[in-house]
Amino acid sequence: MRPPTLIKYTASLPRGRLLPAFSAAPVKRYSTEQTSHARLPRTPPPVRPTLALSTEKRPNAVAEYALSTLDGLVNWARQGSLWPVSFGLACCAIEMMHLSMPRYDNDRQGIIFRASPRQADVMIVAGTVTNKMAPALRQIYDQMPEPRWVISMGSCANGGGYYHYSYSVVRGVDRLIPVDIFVPGCPPTAEALQYGIFQLQKKMRRTKVTRMWYRK
Amino acid sequence: MSSISRTLRNLRKVGIKDFWHQLNYIGDTKAGVLVGTDKFGNKFFEDKDELPLRTRWVDFAKHDFDSAQIEPLWHAWIAYTVDTPPTQDPIMETGKRAWSPKDQVPNRTATLGSYKTYSTTKPKINAWEPFAAPR
Repeated sequence: MRPPTLIKYTASLPRGRLLPAFSAAPVKRYSTEQTSHARLPRTPPPVRPTLALSTEKRPNAVAEYALSTLDGLVNWARQGSLWPVSFGLACCAIEMMHLSMPRYDNDRQGIIFRASPRQADVMIVAGTVTNKMAPALRQIYDQMPEPRWVISMGSCANGGGYYHYSYSVVRGVDRLIPVDIFVPGCPPTAEALQYGIFQLQKKMRRTKVTRMWYRK
Repeated sequence: MSSISRTLRNLRKVGIKDFWHQLNYIGDTKAGVLVGTDKFGNKFFEDKDELPLRTRWVDFAKHDFDSAQIEPLWHAWIAYTVDTPPTQDPIMETGKRAWSPKDQVPNRTATLGSYKTYSTTKPKINAWEPFAAPR
């Protein structure tokens, strides 16, 4: 009566390897997915092969051909003028400023920082989000028009980082708003944030805007 | 980024076909010498007459390119970490050392091969699995 939700590589291993060698006790019946995780040898799970995404399927109808072209146009326009609202909170904001300064020059990609969330597409949360700042952050996110994206920049915004055990810090900005891209680092370099922006543009390129509308 | 005279000058050097190719990939018109090619087919160019930090560039093999697709030591060269490209420096030859990775892993973010977090510690709680004994 093992639960059917066991993950695949757990089931594929031989039974003896799942148990530690010293435990002669019978297998407990309440083993769940998590406990079987703990019994595994401490190696990371195997990297699964990269499969073709569903967006890479060839269109087979006239409407899909037209709409995928239209999607490409919409996504090209969106990723060509990505206006961030600058939510600089700590030292990560300095690196975010480096990115818009002449050496990396974000303006050439159409990335122009806006002071108002109502004009912005993407919010770059750069720095430690404290409990006191949390309602303000949520309100500014709510004021952004759709479609909107969020880049969480740096360890503190990703998961609390250095201040994870502090009494006054939110343990990750994804507890407040949905995050698209997490940029690791403490602080991430301007190149790292640039790479995160490229990843976000890649995500926007995969968005099926009109095709999802057509499916409805 | 680019003046008209510079674009026309480089267009005359590289030809109309390469000009169109470069516009589709790097969005600029550049002319330089081919320094080398890494094992994924990315071509690396250099033009020392350009402005500082614009002298080295890469022509990616894939159209859906990503800077994680180039070899690490070529990345060091193109990011101006080192002066000589890995083809000319015997210290930087790939695959010489036992600890050097055998193959370059591309960034698998947003694919099925992306990294999934997992716990290495024993969980503190166990869920109860309802079990009815057969009568």
